[in-house]
Amino acid sequence: MSSRLVTFPAGWTALLSASLGTLAAEAPTWQEREQARIAVLEQIAPSVVCVMPPNGQGGGSGVLISPDGFAITNYHVTSGSGDFLKCGLNDGRVYDAVIVGIDPTGDVAMIQLLGRDDFPFAAAGNSDNVQVGDEVMALGNPFLLADDFSPTVTYGIASGIHRYQYPANTFLEYTDCIQIDASINPGNSGGPLFDINGLWIGINGRASFEQRGRVNVGAAYAISVRQVQLFLGHLKSGRIVDHGTAEFSLETDTTGRVIVSDVIEISEAWRRGLRPGDELISFAGRALTSANDFKNILGIFPAGARVPLTWENIDGRRTTSIRLRPLHEFQQVPELPEERKPDDHDDPANPHDDGDDEAPEQWAHLLESREGFTNYAFNRQQQTRLLKPLTKQLKRFKDRSGTWQLSVSADAVEEPMSLVVAKNGAGLTQGDTPWHQNADTLDSDSEPTDFPGLLTAALQWHRFFRDPTDSWTDVVYIGTELQYETGQPVDILQTQFGSITCRWLFTNENEFPFGVDVESGSGQDEARLLFENWSASNDIPYPQRIGVIVPATGEITWLQVNAAELRR
Amino acid sequence: MNSKTPTLRRRHTRSVFVRAGCLTLMTAFIGSSAHADIKPERYNTEPTDVVVKLFGAGVGNLDSYGSGTLVSADGHVVTVWNHLINTGYLTAVTADGRRFQTDVIGTSATHDVAVLQLQHDVGDSFPFVDLSTAVKPESGTEVLAFSNMFHVATGNEPVSVVHGIISAESKLSAGLGRWEFPVKSRVLILDAITNNSGAAGGLLADITGRPVGLLGRELRHRQSGTWVNYAVPFDTLQPVIETILKGGTVDQRTETDSESVLTDRQLTTAWGMTLLPEVVRESPAYIDRVVPDSPAANAGFRRGDLVVLVNGAVVQTSHKLRTLLADVRRGQKVAITVNRNGVLEPIEMRAP
Repeated sequence: MSSRLVTFPAGWTALLSASLGTLAAEAPTWQEREQARIAVLEQIAPSVVCVMPPNGQGGGSGVLISPDGFAITNYHVTSGSGDFLKCGLNDGRVYDAVIVGIDPTGDVAMIQLLGRDDFPFAAAGNSDNVQVGDEVMALGNPFLLADDFSPTVTYGIASGIHRYQYPANTFLEYTDCIQIDASINPGNSGGPLFDINGLWIGINGRASFEQRGRVNVGAAYAISVRQVQLFLGHLKSGRIVDHGTAEFSLETDTTGRVIVSDVIEISEAWRRGLRPGDELISFAGRALTSANDFKNILGIFPAGARVPLTWENIDGRRTTSIRLRPLHEFQQVPELPEERKPDDHDDPANPHDDGDDEAPEQWAHLLESREGFTNYAFNRQQQTRLLKPLTKQLKRFKDRSGTWQLSVSADAVEEPMSLVVAKNGAGLTQGDTPWHQNADTLDSDSEPTDFPGLLTAALQWHRFFRDPTDSWTDVVYIGTELQYETGQPVDILQTQFGSITCRWLFTNENEFPFGVDVESGSGQDEARLLFENWSASNDIPYPQRIGVIVPATGEITWLQVNAAELRR
Repeated sequence: MNSKTPTLRRRHTRSVFVRAGCLTLMTAFIGSSAHADIKPERYNTEPTDVVVKLFGAGVGNLDSYGSGTLVSADGHVVTVWNHLINTGYLTAVTADGRRFQTDVIGTSATHDVAVLQLQHDVGDSFPFVDLSTAVKPESGTEVLAFSNMFHVATGNEPVSVVHGIISAESKLSAGLGRWEFPVKSRVLILDAITNNSGAAGGLLADITGRPVGLLGRELRHRQSGTWVNYAVPFDTLQPVIETILKGGTVDQRTETDSESVLTDRQLTTAWGMTLLPEVVRESPAYIDRVVPDSPAANAGFRRGDLVVLVNGAVVQTSHKLRTLLADVRRGQKVAITVNRNGVLEPIEMRAP
């Protein structure tokens, strides 16, 4: 870079100053800019990882994101490289690393470097603030040039933002990505893109090559840090993480409006009133100017995320939220088509060396294979973290499997109410009106009008507290998210019993759950509760407030729990 | 940038402000992080507004998309005179997502340039570069290249911008296949990679947004065989563009123009067929595209047909076909035989 700088004519600075008018006085000199850039590179280079399969053939790049060694790279770098990898840092050392989680659609993989708890790591910037023309720096290991793993730096500008790159014969889809003209070559894949101040803004993963062979042509694409961050908590679960899909489709009409063309009738969007012909105004907080925008915005969210949408029709404008359904539902690690196999594995004799990578003995316990997971060991670890403290707390309530009787009240309801929850059924008595829900049939018509979902969710809550671990046919740790209505960061533990799926939400502050979303069948609204201020009687633990999230309005109706005991 | 200048200034200033604001925010957010706060380079990327995305018919393995630069408020677009122009039926999409059919106003083979006009409604107005403000910076100057390379941008997305410097100003001995780059005066050689699919016809500007030149097409240097990144400076193109805009005629010769031949454009617009490009000498007369509802379509021509006979004369090359068709008078009956999947099919039609 410096060799290019000295070729600039002296008049250049004057030209720059002229264009900047009053800002000219602040403009740093070339020398100052260069010194600052060198200082930034010294800080960020240690976080850049050279990712290699255990046989040392080929490789890609990655970036460390926390001192415990978690690092992000491309899925197409780890795919076919086995479950244990070798990672070089610019300290010249090679570390063992284990695969943690993958997001095949987004071409993102998380690995963990092992053997230290003080790894250097990159600080994330806000990729939504990147503008076309911003200076960027790509760090990585193109052509594996550095024997000492000091990363190669290439410099350029953001050529375009919010770009969409089609899946192209595979499932790797780049949505809302940053297009750059910094040189990206084989081996750069998975490496970090930084802004000029050294904040991490993307993962370089893809480039336009066309007829020029696999060399840089000035058009490469980085997955935005915003997208990576939306998946981080999920990747740590050791799962094969899926992207979300909406159950409606859109088209841009001749006047440029984005119109709903089709809505699946069992979808949440349909139940909230979205119909073909309505105009979609915004999705996930972003305004839409074309049907293409929609793909771009949707593509950065994981399956299961709840996102807002606003639409307009002759009845006016409405805003609601929907949960995104899974896009692919991968049961196994998907295979990349041959031509998409990484540029970076360039050993023709042994292209996809998947078998002979023996786990380093000291780390073997960090890997556990299981269908539907990248590495179940990480999922098990997170399940234990959430379930063990809860189980321990519940042990003191020996008769908790009995019938719970909660005396509750609500602002909108004058008379006191009684909530009864047992193994086989739950009921709410509201004045003279009794509501009853049978645990085996779960009929949404049996839910109290003012508190829809309360009884269905309370039955699952009873089941959960009877035996947190063994009440279910399946338990999976999903990851971390922000709870939609409260913005609270939560861990999500998903349980399955028959056709009933529960998402139990936990915060760091409490062993007891923060809330639950219950799905009892397709075409039905979720039963969603929030639990606040956990307390306990002699008989059972209980939250002093229960929030019922009403699907039709998205509002939370709160119930005060005044007492809780076992009915004897 | 002509009448837009005041607006541009204002917007430019504001974007600088916003960016500086964001930086402060980010720094505040990361708190104790020791990252430096380098003042970002201030590239003026406003010219994305004046570059249009062109979509037409691909020919063989040549692309069906390109770039063009608006040079008048009345929708005049300058681009490279390549296969995209010859095949007609060109659609232009402006930076704000509006879509227009285009007319070819004039071309100059010696300048390798074509001037189009967007078919727009009375009263429509377009942002444009005022070529009278064009500059010709010396080698070493930083420049930005705006184009629809790889058709990354669609609809109302702004085109891509890449940065680099002017490496040299030089005469260029280059071409593609048998086609020779015709511009004999000096062109600007760039270190940015602009020699990409769809980039031809994009805008080269300096970093303050002043126009510099028109991005060239995909071609290789004759000696080294490397793909050349170049732009033809506007001081070379401006006189010919002006002549065309005033309705004057410039050099109308086609690439092979010593004898009478039908041009690709005539063949497409009048007859309704496009041949595979003559990238090598003796290119066979394969029909690459048949325009729906055209005379060729109605006569029964199909994509992939190889023309072998015209009125009994053997057709060995596409050049021969165009020579033979140039001799046919309008309304005259023509007997053409094509080889379709190994079967000879006779076709009769009246010359359009």
